[in-house]
Amino acid sequence: MAIIKTERTAAIAPPLSETTALGWMRKHLFSSVFNSLLTIVTLFIIYITVKELWVWGIADAVWVADNRRGCFDINVDGACWAGVIAWLDSIFYGRYPREELWRINLGLFLLVIWMVPLWLPRVKAKISIGLTTVFLYPFLAGYLFSGGDKSISMQIMVTAAIVCLAANTVHSIIGVLTGRSLPEFLIRLFGKKNAPEKSQRYLLLGILAVSLVAVYMFQMGWNVENVSWTRWGGLFLTLVISGIGIASALPGGILLALGRRSKMPVVRVISTSFIELFRSVPLITVLFMATTMFPLFLPEGFILNKLVQVIIAVCLFNACYLAEIVRGGLQTIPRGQFEAGHTIGLGYWQTISLIILPQALKHMIPNIVGNFIGLLKDTTLVSIIGLFDVLGMLRSISKDLPWLGLHKEPLVFGAMMFFLICFAMSKYSRHLEVKLSTGHKH
Amino acid sequence: MKLSTLLTLVLALAVMTAPVSASAAGKTLDIVKKRGNLRCQVGTPSGGFYNLDAKGNWYGLDVAVCQAVAAAIFGDKNKLEIQSVSSQARFTALANGESDLLCRTATWTMSRDTQLGLDFLTPDFYDGQGFTVPKNSGITSALQLKGAKVCVTSGTTSELNLTDFSRVNNLHIDIVTFEDWNVRDDTYLKGGCDAVTGDKSSMAANIASFPKPADHMILPETISKEPLGPAVRHGDNEWSDIVRWSVFAMINAEELGVTSANVDKMRASSKNVDVRRMLGVEGNLNEGLGLSKDWAYNIIKQVGNYSEIYEQYIGSGKGALGIQRKGTLNELWSNGGLMYSPPMR
Amino acid sequence: MAFSEKTKKSMNTKPKEPFDFFHDERVRSIFYQLLFAAAVGWFAWYLISNTAQNLEARGMNTGFGFLNVSAGFDSYFKLIPNEPGVGTYGRIFIIGALNTLYVSALAVIASTLLGFFIGVLRLSNNWLVSKVALAYVEIFRNTPLLIQVIFWYIGVFSLLPRVKNSIDLSAGAEIFLLNNRGLYTPWPVPGDLLWMTGLAFIVAIIAVIIFKRWARNRQDRTGQTFPTFILSAALLVLLPGTVYLITGMPLGWDIPKLEGFNFAGGASLPPSFIALLVALSIYHAAHMAETVRAGVLSVSRGQYDAARALGLRGKKVMSLVIIPQAMPAIVPPMISNWMSAVKNSSLAIAIGYPDLVSLFMQTSLNQAGYAVELVGMTMAFYMFISLTISWLLNIYNKRVQLVER
Repeated sequence: MAIIKTERTAAIAPPLSETTALGWMRKHLFSSVFNSLLTIVTLFIIYITVKELWVWGIADAVWVADNRRGCFDINVDGACWAGVIAWLDSIFYGRYPREELWRINLGLFLLVIWMVPLWLPRVKAKISIGLTTVFLYPFLAGYLFSGGDKSISMQIMVTAAIVCLAANTVHSIIGVLTGRSLPEFLIRLFGKKNAPEKSQRYLLLGILAVSLVAVYMFQMGWNVENVSWTRWGGLFLTLVISGIGIASALPGGILLALGRRSKMPVVRVISTSFIELFRSVPLITVLFMATTMFPLFLPEGFILNKLVQVIIAVCLFNACYLAEIVRGGLQTIPRGQFEAGHTIGLGYWQTISLIILPQALKHMIPNIVGNFIGLLKDTTLVSIIGLFDVLGMLRSISKDLPWLGLHKEPLVFGAMMFFLICFAMSKYSRHLEVKLSTGHKH
Repeated sequence: MKLSTLLTLVLALAVMTAPVSASAAGKTLDIVKKRGNLRCQVGTPSGGFYNLDAKGNWYGLDVAVCQAVAAAIFGDKNKLEIQSVSSQARFTALANGESDLLCRTATWTMSRDTQLGLDFLTPDFYDGQGFTVPKNSGITSALQLKGAKVCVTSGTTSELNLTDFSRVNNLHIDIVTFEDWNVRDDTYLKGGCDAVTGDKSSMAANIASFPKPADHMILPETISKEPLGPAVRHGDNEWSDIVRWSVFAMINAEELGVTSANVDKMRASSKNVDVRRMLGVEGNLNEGLGLSKDWAYNIIKQVGNYSEIYEQYIGSGKGALGIQRKGTLNELWSNGGLMYSPPMR
Repeated sequence: MAFSEKTKKSMNTKPKEPFDFFHDERVRSIFYQLLFAAAVGWFAWYLISNTAQNLEARGMNTGFGFLNVSAGFDSYFKLIPNEPGVGTYGRIFIIGALNTLYVSALAVIASTLLGFFIGVLRLSNNWLVSKVALAYVEIFRNTPLLIQVIFWYIGVFSLLPRVKNSIDLSAGAEIFLLNNRGLYTPWPVPGDLLWMTGLAFIVAIIAVIIFKRWARNRQDRTGQTFPTFILSAALLVLLPGTVYLITGMPLGWDIPKLEGFNFAGGASLPPSFIALLVALSIYHAAHMAETVRAGVLSVSRGQYDAARALGLRGKKVMSLVIIPQAMPAIVPPMISNWMSAVKNSSLAIAIGYPDLVSLFMQTSLNQAGYAVELVGMTMAFYMFISLTISWLLNIYNKRVQLVER
């Protein structure tokens, strides 16, 4: 705690320190005897760690070999990255058929296309873009990833998703170019700017219906081969589980948070105990519960596959964490907003959905990103119950006969991969926090 | 309302992601045929028995047995879904009909066979537990391990066998358990334990993956019997017949000299009645199983006989574990081993 | 619904009576609550009846009778004695719970100390030191804890020396020994009269509390301070110490000795324990460090300047001005960090440390069935711990609020 004192004394540094490297070092590294000592010790620690890692991971490492014995033949002491490289496809895509990988890539690409408009400044109606991402994209992606025969409801959802995606994209392009929204643009295009609102709406509905039918016809002829969930794995599976976990936990979290803040004691007590129940137990116990108890909960003959069990468990668990984030967000909204909503004649749900949530969501975004990072990291737990997520795949490498016993390198690789993803996201969430909090003050 | 909304959402999700499986009731064979593929349960990847390769395909001795059953039923060994199930869910997954067949180096013991609602059919591999020690330790017998620290993987019969062995011989062995054999072996290699114990088959493979395999040896003692083989749900005898005879067909084929390479020729021209019966040229052995006439032909043609799969995954084949078959219990009975198929007639 | 039609109708006519049954907020609220409770109740009943039906159909046993049945397995690390084949499932539960509490208690202490240390380094004006602390925080916060646990399990023991070259943590006394087989520590062997020393210690604590009250009252009255710290420390050491000596030092120590292959005697902590402890401490210290940093930074610099202006010196500024104001910002996230350390100790299952989840939810479930009871008991245990901790947190929050007013 004496540090603050030393900082004060360091302020009397010569102006030289502001200009030269030597001066900078004197100010920041060697301002006192104690500080110099600290610097030297730290440098020594850095030297030792980096040197060990460098020698093992880079200098002595083997990058090209057919199997682990081949690595040993070249250098026994170095890392054997050849095994990780040979398994890269499996680490990213799991056991997904190699000739079908384009489907995963396309799915991720579509997600990017869908979400990019959220970051474009001139695009309007971002909330509806966000909502369609959460509610329609999963169906499109779900069909793309699993394939097979489509049920009628699935066909409708896929159709809706494709139409929405197209509309979103066109809408964003128009938005970027002209600053207008898609409906405005269409009405101008058909020269109906001065027509009554009703006929404008009919026009839009008509266009929507025509495109829905057209896309429905198109997707009828569009069929991809079924890929069973057992072939899903790797980073892809991790992203699927945590993606569904965050997207479907959000509505649940909002409802639970509203329930916890409700004036009705029964609703409040039940919501609170539900939230506290799941927040007070470790995720792994919830996952075990899912695999051992869900089969008992369901009527006989109704079996959920393991992936669904896990996803339900993750959603329930995460909804309770999100509920607390939402509650925190709701608390930042002054009571006056509720009262104002009621005064202008809005009911409870209207006040919440039109006035409170849009404001609260803005405050929650950094925390939601933080929650997503946590979920992404926690999803590695599913490898314990036998799913081949990214960690499950990394740990399988050491059992493959050509690479038998190769277990450190995959783990280090996995740690680096997670670090890059999570670090980038946490940086982004901090950036958002700063941006949004200043936005609030104005 | 909130809970049920949540539930509806979650269930909608469930319906979206996966078709609901059929119930466990009814005859397994009918269910499997109706579904169009066989669901065969293995564990997390292990040795030469069930393993993932870099392309994401399963391979190994137990996987080959699964393939044989699929080939017998469908005439196509690829109509197979390998399920990797963690050990705590293995028996429930079989009991509730998620898996049709369990083939995961589970040791056939009396309590498992009689108390867990499953039936072990026939061993496809005889293993035994042994010890690995460094050559320079001077230890030549497991009885010299008095007071030694021995590393073992947890949750297996190896742990119990080691406890018994230590108690019976008054050795006071200090047992250290590990969740993962990779860590167990690493600890051993760094001197963290004086010996490693486990199934001899997997230990041979592990030694081969050590940086200096020549510095380690397996002690002569075998302290347990580990018959490994497929298991099915208790009570469906038609189904157990199919699985049991799929294994026997492979053993029998080896005895009769039928391989995947010569099976076509043998079917066309062999004069041996045993071969002709097995391959469905003569007689009606298939009727009792409810399969097509060429069920055994399909197994041998697509998967191979026992010797072929042994050599490919366990024996001296390229990339196999490299465990000699000669002189072990896994030889054919005619060569002094225990692999014996009842006559197919 | 007839209800909504009626509502529509009454919208056109203004309510005449002061109490309109269908428009009264209380009535509606009770109606909704009943509906909600009925839905939840129905759902719970649905699950329970399905479970009962399934349990019966599969011939699975139920009830808590199994807790008195002897378990066929043992835990290789336990704080209370257990005989394999004799110890019951109830005992296994206690062993698991104690193992969980033991590792998480140590992890909580270690992570708090390390976290404060890193947090201080993070605030250091030495550029290099603060950046290294930042790197530490970022690296450990942004990789999955499970990977870290496995990593320490693999990594730590390949770095430690063999038995013959054990690291002596007690500087030559050879009582705390660390090698790649685990950590060996002395283990206390209590004698008959040890309870008297314990009693003396409790008496000393009570005396210190009374004494502190008196000293504070005295300060309030007269403005004079009294050297309470030295006196209470002396009281705490001397009273139990004297009793301990008088009763003839009734506490022996079992010290580890090298015998044959291994150390015998003392307590040995298995590799999985140390790996889990190290991983939890390091991971939660990273979170702790951020908490400390945020807490200290939340006190505005003006406070520091004001304290200096009042003539307080370095240590006093910290202890009287900065820390008391930072604590309310530090303690709540710190306690929730402790809570997640307890929960995260369940990752033990990945490396085979016999905590509650791995002993009870995995091994016992495999051996005995009783899925509902086992899962329920394990979850109840964690809920009990969490609720206790949040209860403590609430007490603290209330106290802090009172101080503010």
